[in-house]
Amino acid sequence: MTRRGIFREDLAWAAFLLVLAVAFGLVKHWPLVNLSYQGKLSARLEEMRAQRRQVEFQGVRTLNIAQAYERFQKGQSLFIDARKPEEYAELHIAGAVNLPEEKLQERDNPALTGIAKERQIVVYCGEAHCDIALKVAEKLQSLGFTQVSAFLGGFRAWDEAGYPVDTSK
Amino acid sequence: MKSNKLFPRVLGMVLGGLFFYAGLQKHYHPWEFAEAVLAYQLAPMWLAGVVAAVLPWVELIAGGLLVVGCKRRSALLLLALLVASFLVVLVVTMARGLQIDCGCGLFFQRQVGVVAVLEDLVLLAWAGGLYRWEMRGVSREQ
Repeated sequence: MTRRGIFREDLAWAAFLLVLAVAFGLVKHWPLVNLSYQGKLSARLEEMRAQRRQVEFQGVRTLNIAQAYERFQKGQSLFIDARKPEEYAELHIAGAVNLPEEKLQERDNPALTGIAKERQIVVYCGEAHCDIALKVAEKLQSLGFTQVSAFLGGFRAWDEAGYPVDTSK
Repeated sequence: MKSNKLFPRVLGMVLGGLFFYAGLQKHYHPWEFAEAVLAYQLAPMWLAGVVAAVLPWVELIAGGLLVVGCKRRSALLLLALLVASFLVVLVVTMARGLQIDCGCGLFFQRQVGVVAVLEDLVLLAWAGGLYRWEMRGVSREQ
């Protein structure tokens, strides 16, 4: 058989393997496929995320975008951006300070020691999917901060709503 | 088995093992993987569910066959095609400026970025190189 013939045979077998994978995938994960076909996948994922967060981050107060903006307008809350420094530098909520999760390990971090324990704090991360805001909020609570909330919509929701943002560049 | 044949076989088994492991991770966490697929904002919702259901099985079947040494060339072709399509998706996502988890399902979580692209380039070269080596072996035998 020529090289081209061998290649064609390999390709045919690869296509067969792909068909096999499609069959196994559809059978094994039918509830997932069915739900996504009905257009209900996002809603189901959100429900599952909320359930998981309720168990994993018990005791962490959360804010939706309207509540977060209300806090912003009152001007009494400190907004903490828990994303990476480069993402923060690109664009962040106006007046927010950057405090990524790893920086919380540094006990004498001036960004942390300069905050009064009873100060209203709102923590956010990139988007609704990320858990970093909740992790940082939980960690801040364990460090003795008493009025910490996590804004679940994240920076994307804030930016899309057209609320004030700032850049460090 | 001669050592010049053994080394590529071992490389194939390792590559197969990596994909099999990545496939297992996704297979056992299908909803999390569906979330990662949706985050790319490339596929319509009905297709995102199908991708999340099928892709782990492509990795499991092709990776598993490479590990056991059966239909190696076809498994390598399938994996190379898979990685090439991952690369296109990664580059498009980077160009769109989305900062999301890559959902690659290996040993650690990482975002879509240069590291993920380099990783896929290495995997593509690995699968493509092994396929070429296998083809050369067939030609020599004939």
